[in-house]
Amino acid sequence: MSTAFRITQRSIHERSLTNLSLNLETMARFQERLSSGRLINRPSDNPTGTVSAMQYRADIRRVEQFSRNAVDGSNWLGVADSTMQQVLTATGRIRELILRASNGSVDTDGRDAIAAEVDSLRQNIIDLANTKFLDRPIFAGTEQTNLAYDATGTYLGDGAPPVDPEAGPEGRVERNVAPGVNVRVNLTGPEVFGDPAVGDLFATLTQLSTDLRTNPANLSTDLQALDVHIDTIENQLAKLGARHRQIEAMRQKADDNIMLIKNGLSEVEDIDLPQTIVDLQLQEVAYRAALDATSRVIQPSLLDFLR
Amino acid sequence: MSDFYGINLALSSLFAQRRAIEIAGQNVANANTDGYTRQRIEQGARGAGLVPAIHSTWKGGGGGVDVLGIERLRNAFFELRAAQEHGNLADLETMSRVYARMELVFNEPSDTGIQAQLADFWAGWHDVSNRPDDLAARTQLLERARTLATGFNQAASGLSRQWDSSLDQLETIVSEVNSLGSRIAELNSAIIRASQGGLSPNELADQRDLLVSELSELIGITVRPADHGAVDVLVGGTALVQGAIAENLAVDTPAGTTILNASTSPVRILWAKDSFPAAVSGGQVGGLLTALNTVLPDYRSRLDSVTQNLTDVVNNQHVLGVDLNGAAGTNMFSFDPLTGLSVLITDPAEIAAATAGSGLLDGGNAIALANLATLAGGPDEEYQSLVISLGVDTQVTNRRVDIQADITRQIDGIRDSEAGVNLDEEMANLVAFQRAYEAGSRFLTTIDSMLDTLINRTGLVGR
Repeated sequence: MSTAFRITQRSIHERSLTNLSLNLETMARFQERLSSGRLINRPSDNPTGTVSAMQYRADIRRVEQFSRNAVDGSNWLGVADSTMQQVLTATGRIRELILRASNGSVDTDGRDAIAAEVDSLRQNIIDLANTKFLDRPIFAGTEQTNLAYDATGTYLGDGAPPVDPEAGPEGRVERNVAPGVNVRVNLTGPEVFGDPAVGDLFATLTQLSTDLRTNPANLSTDLQALDVHIDTIENQLAKLGARHRQIEAMRQKADDNIMLIKNGLSEVEDIDLPQTIVDLQLQEVAYRAALDATSRVIQPSLLDFLR
Repeated sequence: MSDFYGINLALSSLFAQRRAIEIAGQNVANANTDGYTRQRIEQGARGAGLVPAIHSTWKGGGGGVDVLGIERLRNAFFELRAAQEHGNLADLETMSRVYARMELVFNEPSDTGIQAQLADFWAGWHDVSNRPDDLAARTQLLERARTLATGFNQAASGLSRQWDSSLDQLETIVSEVNSLGSRIAELNSAIIRASQGGLSPNELADQRDLLVSELSELIGITVRPADHGAVDVLVGGTALVQGAIAENLAVDTPAGTTILNASTSPVRILWAKDSFPAAVSGGQVGGLLTALNTVLPDYRSRLDSVTQNLTDVVNNQHVLGVDLNGAAGTNMFSFDPLTGLSVLITDPAEIAAATAGSGLLDGGNAIALANLATLAGGPDEEYQSLVISLGVDTQVTNRRVDIQADITRQIDGIRDSEAGVNLDEEMANLVAFQRAYEAGSRFLTTIDSMLDTLINRTGLVGR
């Protein structure tokens, strides 16, 4: 304010008060930042920063969810993988048994015993095919069912040929692991164990058991059929492995992203602690100076000097 | 010429100096009184007798001093400016308070605002897509949908409550305006009577001016000086106070205006005498009218538009899916600005997570719903643009308040420098008038001793 005006005690008083309260207001702002630890406490503090902060928060929530989806998908794939490894062990054992039975030295009783073991292994494989993850049979596609295969080896799920689960949506279970990226995490029974209409693993095993008992001459044909199934399972295992790697890579990326976004949010929203403390101290110095000046300015008057 | 004329002259001087000392005393006494205007004595030299007479002419000097009047040192122009600037400041401050309260309603950015609730809701769809068979995931999603609906409804009713309380506030302020108007009119009439009776109405005028400046913060006014020291107060070009007569204002809510229809049938201020609308701008009334008719309804309709957007995109995608019982999806939300957002689905099994044509444990539709979070022009984006507008508007209003507060302080400073009491100045005046009084007394003593010489010591010859 220009000094061309007539200055009165009241105006000095008013102005000092105004300046003091402005100083105090700035102090309060820094105090609020320090105590909340946040640069933005309301949208008007920084409108664009506010929206960035909102978007960052939504992104964090979304990417965390992607990471959780990936972990869940990875678990699905893991369960399917270990189940199929066990199926392969069982089929390997069956293959050994057939080879032994094909050997002329095994007699009818021996073959019957082998047939009994094959039957029990078949039952084991059906149990494995009904493996559940979180109470849901993993090989039943998207069908709402308690079992993927019943005791006789009939497929109860969906996505059986001629439907192609790779094309979806029938029989396809997916996990959304990145924006627009859905990874398939399941295999349907027919994909692993063969098309029931043409003759799946369970039909082949039934045939095997019958041939062991009644028609040993047919065993080599059966063996070929079994090998086809083993090949299929191995191929599908390889596919699972590839998906597992993909989903793990996605999860890793999601976790990295979470760190990046959190850093971004912190840069927008959080205070620079040393900077804020220094600012507050500077403001405190200014406030003290204003107080000091006020106490000096309000004191003197002509009254002090008149006798 | 009378021999005793000098005594009279001395007396006039003593009277005038004493009056001046009293004025200085009055100024000092009111140095901190709100609205007090410093006063100054107007003195004039008393001229010699000017009426010529044949046998009596006056050959001496002047006849002493006269007190011509006591002046209020107040600049009417600055008074007018101050009234306007205070009105603008009160207007902006009212708006700024409205915006500050709206920021509280939305409470962003935070972990609990609508944005966070939206993110939770979308994440809930992911969980359902991961485990479509799990009723817990579905129940959790429904809970989140209800929380989200509550969040939107609370924000909407927060704005409505703010609108209602602003209307109450407006009514209180308008009745305050009316009472101030009638008190100003009473003071005006007292001032007119006093000045017609030749009395000094300065203290009354100070009181009246204080009321006028109080009034200027409530409602935008123009002040016009009138005869005999009275002032007229105009609101939107029409007289609220004219001399000793005050008019009344009233708040009008045509057809039961609420926040929902305020933009089409706005709240108005009417003149009570003829129900003619008053053109009000500025002051707290002006600020509240803007808030009631523009700002609050605008933000409410934008919030409603976000809610409608959410309802539409979720419903449109949800009906494409199939629920756990194999039935086609139904509408998930229903929204009406009057009743708010509600969740229609109560049975978790009715959440249509599966894509049509797939098995019931498919989660494709749930993924599609989860992806609505990033839909261009979707509810998240629209809500964010609402918050950014709120932030910018609030920031702009706060800056305007800061600037206007500076201007108002300057005008107040100029006005105070004109009308305020400077103690040093008054002390100097006191000393000057005291000295003049002493000199006047000495003059009286001189006259007295002259007369003593004349009366008691002369004519002693031959005694």
